[in-house]
Amino acid sequence: MTLNQSRWLMVTAAVVALAAGAWVARTMLFVPSVSGQSAAALLGVALPDTDGKDQPLAQWTGKVLVVNFWATWCAPCREEMPMFVRLQREQEANGLQFVGIAVDQADKVRQFAGEIGLNYPALIGGYGAMELSKSLGNSLMALPFTVIVDRGGRVAHTQLGPLKEEQLTSIVKQLL
Amino acid sequence: MRKRAPDDRRATLAHRIAGIGMLLAALDLAAAAWAAGPKLLPADQAFRLSARALDAKTLEIRFDVADGYYLYRDKLKFGVEPAAAGAGTPALPPGKVIEDEFFGRVATYRGPVVVRLPLAAGQPGGSVSLVVDSQGCADAGVCYPPQQQRLTLPLPPVGAGPSAPVDASPPKKTYFN
Repeated sequence: MTLNQSRWLMVTAAVVALAAGAWVARTMLFVPSVSGQSAAALLGVALPDTDGKDQPLAQWTGKVLVVNFWATWCAPCREEMPMFVRLQREQEANGLQFVGIAVDQADKVRQFAGEIGLNYPALIGGYGAMELSKSLGNSLMALPFTVIVDRGGRVAHTQLGPLKEEQLTSIVKQLL
Repeated sequence: MRKRAPDDRRATLAHRIAGIGMLLAALDLAAAAWAAGPKLLPADQAFRLSARALDAKTLEIRFDVADGYYLYRDKLKFGVEPAAAGAGTPALPPGKVIEDEFFGRVATYRGPVVVRLPLAAGQPGGSVSLVVDSQGCADAGVCYPPQQQRLTLPLPPVGAGPSAPVDASPPKKTYFN
């Protein structure tokens, strides 16, 4: 092999390694890559509330929307919700709106909503809600999963697993 | 000292470019891993299910729960089809009882879990469909929805040893498919 050939081989190897690294990072490590994308798929959905009345998510267009996929059987979900209740109360006047989508049964959701004094809509989604969250970056289809949508209807942040209060307030502050 | 030939210098440069490329790839991975937080497994890999028939009247069901994950004991349910095979009460190990802030005292399983399920009327040489419901979470702070898995198990003929274990779902290829 001449030196010229070996040089090209090494440059090619470097480029391939770089591309492979990026590809593996994107596909294997479940990096949500939807930030900045339109949240139209989410905002186009209508789901029943605990009274069975359909609630289109588009009704909250123009607000900073925090859509939280959760369930009563999910302890980490239940743990972060009282913080959402408080932020909803404190920031509602500034245009912040939480919406919970429960992968659960309506009666269980109603009971838990009463226990924690839920002050934002709890919509009921079945397996279709998990599929919806998957399309928004929740490739593992695990809970809690939260999508923050800016006033312009674009996805600003997605998160699998609980949100820390400082993290949530700092993201929301920039969007309000 | 010998003066370097131009080709030598070019080779050194190529080495450097290659080195930088590799380094960038590694950094790229590290940054992505950091951004993604803890790497989590899909439910079927976090809670691997397999089962075998010890004899026509006894199924042995096994979960291998990955490190950092746990299953709820009270969410495990077992059934067989056809129902005429007569599934009895599963013998569940006690598990580890934890004090959950929301669910009170609940028993959980980590690591390997082996459950025996008696079949009152299992037919030697026949087969049954085992239906398993389970639900678990990761210590990282996420939970997986309740899942139902189904396995077809051959029942050994009289006098034969246990059947070979059957995996619930072959682990999905995640690399190059």
